[in-house]
Amino acid sequence: MNSRKHFLALAVVAAVAGSAYADETCNSPYMSKLIKGQEEFVHVWTLGVEGLGDGSDKLVTIDVNPRSRNYGKVVHSISVATRGEAHHMGFTDDRRYLWAGGLGNSQIYVFDVGSDPARPRLVRTIGDFVARTGLVGPHTYYAMPGRMLVGALSNSTDKGGATGMAVYNNKGEFVAKYDMPKGEVGGVVGDGYGYDVAINPAKNALLTSSFTGIDNYRRSLGEVVGDPAAMKRFGNTMVLWDHKAMKPVQILSVPGAPLEIRWSLKPGDNWAITAAALTSKLWLVKQDADGKWQAKEVGTIGDPAKIPLPVDISITADGRGLWVNTFTDGMTRYFDLSNPEQPKQTYAKQTGKQVNMISQSWDGRRVYITSSLLERWDKTGEDNEQFLRAFHWDGKELTQAFEVDFTKEKLGRAHHMKFGARS
Amino acid sequence: MAARPAAGGRASAALCLAAGALLGWLGGAAHAAADPTPAHAPQMQFVPPAPGTYQLQRIQRAPDAVLVDARYQQRRLATLTRDKVTLLTFFYTYCTDAWGCPFARQMMTSLRERLLARPQAAGRVRFVSISFDPTHDTPEALRLHAGQLHTDSRLPWEFLTARGMRELLPLLDDLGQDVRIEYDDSGRPTRTINHMLKLFLIDRDGVVREIYALDYLHPEAMLNDIETLLAEEGRSIGRGR
Repeated sequence: MNSRKHFLALAVVAAVAGSAYADETCNSPYMSKLIKGQEEFVHVWTLGVEGLGDGSDKLVTIDVNPRSRNYGKVVHSISVATRGEAHHMGFTDDRRYLWAGGLGNSQIYVFDVGSDPARPRLVRTIGDFVARTGLVGPHTYYAMPGRMLVGALSNSTDKGGATGMAVYNNKGEFVAKYDMPKGEVGGVVGDGYGYDVAINPAKNALLTSSFTGIDNYRRSLGEVVGDPAAMKRFGNTMVLWDHKAMKPVQILSVPGAPLEIRWSLKPGDNWAITAAALTSKLWLVKQDADGKWQAKEVGTIGDPAKIPLPVDISITADGRGLWVNTFTDGMTRYFDLSNPEQPKQTYAKQTGKQVNMISQSWDGRRVYITSSLLERWDKTGEDNEQFLRAFHWDGKELTQAFEVDFTKEKLGRAHHMKFGARS
Repeated sequence: MAARPAAGGRASAALCLAAGALLGWLGGAAHAAADPTPAHAPQMQFVPPAPGTYQLQRIQRAPDAVLVDARYQQRRLATLTRDKVTLLTFFYTYCTDAWGCPFARQMMTSLRERLLARPQAAGRVRFVSISFDPTHDTPEALRLHAGQLHTDSRLPWEFLTARGMRELLPLLDDLGQDVRIEYDDSGRPTRTINHMLKLFLIDRDGVVREIYALDYLHPEAMLNDIETLLAEEGRSIGRGR
């Protein structure tokens, strides 16, 4: 059987057996079992709120299969019995386990989502992150074969933005630590800050971005913005690493806290895109004709003077479109990336009073949005909506399909999302 | 990787038993899964770093197990992951997935030929292939599958099978090698074994130093990794580019 027929046969088997594939244009390229059809569940890593439910961080599972009688409902919730500022999470390479971390307590929780994605189980807590690395605020979880690359935000010494990355094996054992560069590499001096990590295996390229330390992200946003000294303590660089050697080869100047990184998944493409939070700009990181990586400002998101604060972004599977959420104005914008050198905004809609994370299905027809940015940066009073909202996208309009009110359900602040399916 | 072998009642029945054991071990991962791998060859658009200019991570210790080779001899895996640099993978003989076991075998065969051209390396490297299916992949099946490869002492290539799933599953679990039986629409196990293609590079002290998934299978980079481990012994193998 040739490979095309073989994959077709497998697809048929999968369809008949009722299994499903889904999204995840932002997952590690080393991760298996991408879901390219209808996702069945969305797991939401949720910050506990004092006085709401048990007050602890929890992994909330929502049934998003339209054929299910539980469509749009919370079907499972597992508390970690403490409040440590739940933030991001990532699957292991085989998608059997989901690693989720606390920015406040630097704990890493490992959930079994492979045995039954409708009922994740907490199977391990990794508590040695600070002791092993001297880092705090484990942020990004990015699968490597048999390992997890963990990007951190801060350090335990001065609580500032100088930080690094750690590697753990899939058993949860510490393997290695790598500092973000502070010296000059490729003509640019590094600030040592960190945030997201993303790998392009065909290029042996690991790209990292930069945010701020725990001395800023655990303060209220108003205090930070009103403190000129604090506002200077944000990352202004990205770093291109030799992934095999885990050595920085080029530091790129990208001012204004470049956050989420998305490589184009289109075969042959050699670029990634990011959004700088403080300057509200889109930046393209691309290899030039000489093979050197260059960072270039390519677009503006909203009115930078109003500090819309672009946060999460989501690239389409074909690399031709990008969703951008801006926290302050609660807007969700779509940019045409047909020419990544000149992104064009083609759609905008206010999807909440505050919005942060955005995830789309592989086919781009479904878009999920959550509300929480950081425990102490979220809005207050009536503006502090906490939700997951699901939308249909027909290429012209976002139409809301359902909403889960995380406050009404006594769950907490809805943050990072990952899809699940029984496959 | 998944494979769809020719029909065979004995093997199907055997695999039913294997599937039961697998499900018991994996805690009820009972849903069918299509091949998770990308349908394309790994792309390598870079020059890998030179041997000895970087350090490979010490990922975990290679586990031990009692296995059986193609000569019906019991072998301790620990003795086959020490004293040489070892490239280890899991497979099954009737796998036909173009990007699964056959691709790994093709890659390892090519790598082997390149290592044999470097005499200093050849005596210090071994390959190990362990079957996912102890019932079907008997020592005799291994012998037929291996051909001349397992008798060439210049670069030992051990083909191994377990005496049963009870002995195999802890090994898979320790190395984090996922494996699931694919089911048909009636809920019956097929002869397709889904698994992530992984090759484990193990140093002479028995420590896993690199794990190659499909996207990592770049022969030049793998050769450099092997040479990097050999260089740790203080003896460069002089690849003579």
